[in-house]
Amino acid sequence: MASTIKRDSTEIGLGRRSSRQNFETWSWLFMRVSGIVLFFLALIHFFIMHIMHDVTTTTVAFVAARWSNPLWRIFDWMLLALGLLHGTNGLRYIMDDYVRSPIKRVIVKVSVYGISGILFFVGTLTIVTFK
Amino acid sequence: MSPSSTMYRGKTGQWAFVLHRVTGFLVFMFILLHIVDVSTLNSPHIYNSIHRLYGNVFLRLFEVGLLFALLYHALNGLRVVMIDFFPKVIKNEKGVFLFMLSLAVVMTLVGAVFILKPFITGKV
Repeated sequence: MASTIKRDSTEIGLGRRSSRQNFETWSWLFMRVSGIVLFFLALIHFFIMHIMHDVTTTTVAFVAARWSNPLWRIFDWMLLALGLLHGTNGLRYIMDDYVRSPIKRVIVKVSVYGISGILFFVGTLTIVTFK
Repeated sequence: MSPSSTMYRGKTGQWAFVLHRVTGFLVFMFILLHIVDVSTLNSPHIYNSIHRLYGNVFLRLFEVGLLFALLYHALNGLRVVMIDFFPKVIKNEKGVFLFMLSLAVVMTLVGAVFILKPFITGKV
């Protein structure tokens, strides 16, 4: 009996971290790691598509030539997936900070996660189906 | 909650944070738009006309703004990673922030020359 009470008190107190705390720690680590990867992916992408080539020359034919190499499709898909995850999680911090009413927070979060999910699907479909 | 209660004054870290948040938000909004415009790839006519539109001088200026937001967010993000992972390495946080901000400004100006070149030479 005494040992049961003791174990309960450590679970409530200093003994364990809540799943929420664990999630935020992983979220913090994910933002740093994905940020470092995105540093390279996003800046290389911008350099090739906006500095080396003019935006008006990146036509469908240009993309077709570029995506004939599957490595560029993988590169672009990584940028899509990590960019959306990193951005959506960043927006989650912003929503937690500024949307204080619980009802509004649910509505705004469901909308944002919904839009991100749909655009992830649309983007993946574009990369996979383009011939 | 009033804005003043979430604000602490007089430190560059606060401004680095505000600018990081604003630039991150703007880059993310552009990504959402960009996924939609790229999704028209299977309708070449629509895709190509959207890209001609991006050649417009106002959208080129918007592109320069995007470059600055991306560069600042990327460089300041590195500063945040360094502070979190190697806290002893950075002795002058304010100096690193000002260096990253300056680097972002300089690289944006160099990039702007390339992005605006067709407009300057009168091709657009």
